[in-house]
Amino acid sequence: MGNRKIPAKLLKQEVIVFIVVIALLGFFCVASPDFRKYTTILTIMDYSYYIVLMAIGVSFPLITGGVDLSIGTGLVCYSLAGGYLIVHKGWPTGAAMVVSLLFGIIIGLINGILIGVMGLPPFLATLCTCMITRGLGSICSNNFGISWPTTGQPGSWFRSIFKLTIGDTKIPLGFVWVLLLAILMHFVLNHTKIGRYTIAIGSNKEAAILSGINVKFYHIMAYVISGFFAALASIAYSAVFATVLPGTGAGFELEAIGGAIIGGVSATGGAGSIIGTLIGVFVICLLKTGLPFIGLQANWQQIVTGVVLIGSVMVDIIKKRKESRK
Amino acid sequence: MGEVILQMIDIDKRFPGVHALNKVSFDVKRGEVHALMGENGAGKSTLMKVLTGIYTKDSGSIVFEGKEVEFHGAREAQDAGVVIVHQELNMVGHLTVAQNIFIGREFKKGIRIDDKKMNEEAAKLFEKLNINIDPTATMSDLTVGKQQMCEIAKAISHDAKVIIFDEPTAALTESEIEDLFKIIRDLRKQQMAIVYISHRMDEIKVITDRVTVMRDGCYVGTLVTEESTKDDIINMMVGRIIYEEPKTKSRVSEDAPVVLKVEHLNAGRMVQDVSFELRKGEILGFSGLMGAGRTETARAIFGADPKESGEIFVNGKKTVINSPEDAVKAGIGYLSEDRKRFGIVVQKTIAENTTMADLGNYMKGIFIDKKKEKKVAKEFVDSLSTKTPSVDQLVVNLSGGNQQKVVIAKWLCKNCDILIFDEPTRGIDVGAKNEIYKLMNKLAAEGKSIIMISSEMTEILRMSDRIVVMCEGKKTGELRIEDTTQEKIMNLATRDIN
Amino acid sequence: MDLIKKIKENPIIKKLGFNRIVLACVLVLMYLILSLMVENFAGMPRIMSALNYVYFLGFLSLGVTFVIATGGIDFSIGPVMFCCALVSGYSLTSLGVPMLPSLIISLIVGLLFGMMNGYLVAYWKVPPFIVSMASMNIAKGVASVFTKTQSVSWPQAAKGGWFRSLVKVGKFPVGIIVFLVVAAICSIILNHTKAGRYILSLGSNREAVRLSGVDTKKWEMLAYAICGVLVGIAAIYFVGAYTTVQPGYGDQYNNEAIAGCVMGGTSMAGGLASIGGTVIGVFIIALLQEGILALGFTKDYQLIITGLIVIVAVYADVMARRRKN
Repeated sequence: MGNRKIPAKLLKQEVIVFIVVIALLGFFCVASPDFRKYTTILTIMDYSYYIVLMAIGVSFPLITGGVDLSIGTGLVCYSLAGGYLIVHKGWPTGAAMVVSLLFGIIIGLINGILIGVMGLPPFLATLCTCMITRGLGSICSNNFGISWPTTGQPGSWFRSIFKLTIGDTKIPLGFVWVLLLAILMHFVLNHTKIGRYTIAIGSNKEAAILSGINVKFYHIMAYVISGFFAALASIAYSAVFATVLPGTGAGFELEAIGGAIIGGVSATGGAGSIIGTLIGVFVICLLKTGLPFIGLQANWQQIVTGVVLIGSVMVDIIKKRKESRK
Repeated sequence: MGEVILQMIDIDKRFPGVHALNKVSFDVKRGEVHALMGENGAGKSTLMKVLTGIYTKDSGSIVFEGKEVEFHGAREAQDAGVVIVHQELNMVGHLTVAQNIFIGREFKKGIRIDDKKMNEEAAKLFEKLNINIDPTATMSDLTVGKQQMCEIAKAISHDAKVIIFDEPTAALTESEIEDLFKIIRDLRKQQMAIVYISHRMDEIKVITDRVTVMRDGCYVGTLVTEESTKDDIINMMVGRIIYEEPKTKSRVSEDAPVVLKVEHLNAGRMVQDVSFELRKGEILGFSGLMGAGRTETARAIFGADPKESGEIFVNGKKTVINSPEDAVKAGIGYLSEDRKRFGIVVQKTIAENTTMADLGNYMKGIFIDKKKEKKVAKEFVDSLSTKTPSVDQLVVNLSGGNQQKVVIAKWLCKNCDILIFDEPTRGIDVGAKNEIYKLMNKLAAEGKSIIMISSEMTEILRMSDRIVVMCEGKKTGELRIEDTTQEKIMNLATRDIN
Repeated sequence: MDLIKKIKENPIIKKLGFNRIVLACVLVLMYLILSLMVENFAGMPRIMSALNYVYFLGFLSLGVTFVIATGGIDFSIGPVMFCCALVSGYSLTSLGVPMLPSLIISLIVGLLFGMMNGYLVAYWKVPPFIVSMASMNIAKGVASVFTKTQSVSWPQAAKGGWFRSLVKVGKFPVGIIVFLVVAAICSIILNHTKAGRYILSLGSNREAVRLSGVDTKKWEMLAYAICGVLVGIAAIYFVGAYTTVQPGYGDQYNNEAIAGCVMGGTSMAGGLASIGGTVIGVFIIALLQEGILALGFTKDYQLIITGLIVIVAVYADVMARRRKN
């Protein structure tokens, strides 16, 4: 019984965003007949996986009141590193995946130490690791695009994790995993020490320290989670797209952070919901896939994402101002 | 009342330049509420910080449950059963009540935090304390009073034996204070030892068993509350000796022109329907207890915080003040109690701080006329006798008194005729205090009009021509210096509290 | 230790700034070492190439110095610079706008982005990093949409590209003079005008400045606007040196510009800024980029090394502040 009040409150934002998603979906369906196809769903899903995964991860630094800007270029870097091992060193896919994940965890750890222990401003520390991972990615791929095994090649099993082909139908299986992970992280955020202290750091760090919490450790953990999920996203990205190009990835983080903030993660820290993040990302994905259907170039999506991000933060600020006036 | 559980003997503590505690002794028994009283800066908080290990004592000993102890930090004291309920609350706003109470020592079921059990335990705690708070409510949604109850519950859940309340009622409403007292009585019944720090005389009479009074870092005496009167305690607090001669007569004639008139000012709970007049050349003292709403009144007049209603007349003309910009234009300057945060820019030089409000008059075309700036700053340094090698000195390197002079220079430079001094001598050592007083008198004699907010009785009595007393956000009285006594002020300052 | 203290107390050194002298020494030392390690490094072509880098990066760095002085941050400057270059270049080459108005368009685009960022940060209190992220993408999007995702090449000097004489005339690097003059103007703005005084002061203690009756929001927004105009100038120098711009890029220059600024002694916490330091910092960064390439490494190493430099420089700033408290 007892736990009902908070989720009800957070759900409010989630419900609103969910309605926005449905409304967008309806709008595009009405506006464009081409949109009403099964393949559109597949496209939306393909685009959503890596962004959702990044967004789930980056929610943790955001809730501590920080940010992780290194996830976008990080994703490309981890994918290139893993792909390099498969293509040029003949590693099995599974082993390469483990390397990608470890890479992500290490970068997360570095971010965590820079911010949690050394006290660098989060945006600056992660802006640097963003550039560093971009350089590292290009170096390990020798500046060439890398393709993880494509369907039909040996070691391409990982692609069917995300898109299962039965006969002629393709099933976006990845959504199931992404949903399960979102639920798992929702549990971590709300029902484990890691999540509880992540919120405490973002809400009132001083009080957290006075309560005898090892704040440095949990601060680092938030960034490790973010790095790990960026690495998971890199696997999803490699599985969905044919080729990964070095030098890309900048801008992915905006879509992820935008999704998280639209989904109700506070830009100033302390509050957030992973289920909300999941739904928020779909607002971004729908815009990304839907806008071309109504005749806007794909690049409009960048502008719209930026505007939507600012807009959702402003709504949050207005809400807070009203509350403080009460 | 049981046996003595905690005893502090001959505690001595010095800070650079200040003898903060001079051989102070204090004890508290099981099942008693022991008040610790004294004016600001008497050393109450320092004593409690020494007890809980936030400060280390220079000499003396602490005996707890028959054993000599020394805590290193609040955490150790807490584990031993000595907890402080701080004046500023330390709560994580986004978490629930139960989550806050058990933060850092959550119940777990595997890796899962057992929120259900925490809620149950919190509910049990509240039941024991007779408090009606939903353990699943979000902390930031609660009133300050309820948050304080949670803080108390958290303290008790640590298996506390001694609880120290530091000004617990400063931010509470009357009904919340009633609830708090009920809890304190219950705790007393449960043989808890309670130290109660407060300024408020009437509370002391209602809730405490014994009263210990401190003054200027010294132990003055201990009374049994039942056997003493309010006047006894007040006398001990202020002492018979007044260091400075109190003013006996106002220097301002009754028909001096009114420069500032505030009518029916409202701004939140801390400023309710405040009206007063300030005359030319006058020093108008604002007296009251901590949290009486004096600073809030000043900030609202100055436009630093929004006001709900009320009218302000400057030199007889109705003036709209919505921002500090408007106030400064009208010739009002505000000297905050917290100079470092609100008064000076520490990384800038004296000259730069001096012209901060009046930079427009130090321009040569689009450039700042630094020569003129320095010249004028030097004049102020000389006339206020600010101690500094040069006006290029960064303000961070000055002492508190000299920093205050820089802030005064800032407003004089802008030619403000109305100056609001908020605790003008806080954090300033005794010698420099006199200088600030002289300066204020000089300014008033030159025709400036001064509002002086002060929590120090001696300061109010020595400086003011007239005194406004506030309590709980309302003006409770106005006294002419000729017929003012400490007792009268104290009575007005505690009038609203029953 | 005493010797260092004595040196620091010397009035001439105090005037120039001890840290800036050290920085200048680092610059000279780097140049000497690179000259020894790489053949022909000291030659004119390398120097000209490094100077090309100095110009646009210098203007970016000068701009972001104003923003960081307020205690904020703007890492949309790189993509915004590309947006300025693309919008004005497209106007010039495809829409038939004459040269001078095109250059002014570049400045205006920069100014508009700066004002937008400043307005959101100062009046709405949107966290600067969110504003930067959003405006970075908006800039990329606007540039792509406007140019229909095509790269733009600015005309060569012989074909009406007279703006290139702002960069160099014959072999003479005019750009360096323009850059130093603009830097001097920035220094004057920061240290000798109302705007600079209030920008630095509010970066140090916003509330105290507000309570002195100063409209802090206006001045904070101005800092972002100044940054925007300088980014517009940077765009002109970028195309003056490299001719072609492609939509969708520009991120890496954010970090390099911030690196130049922070190395020069501008504090990330705000309130402390040195234009002279930024200028030297920019030279070091540009020389470093040139040196990395000259030593046979790729652009990717530039990214990594610049990233590490920023981390070290900011950490030094954090430590210095901790020691003070």
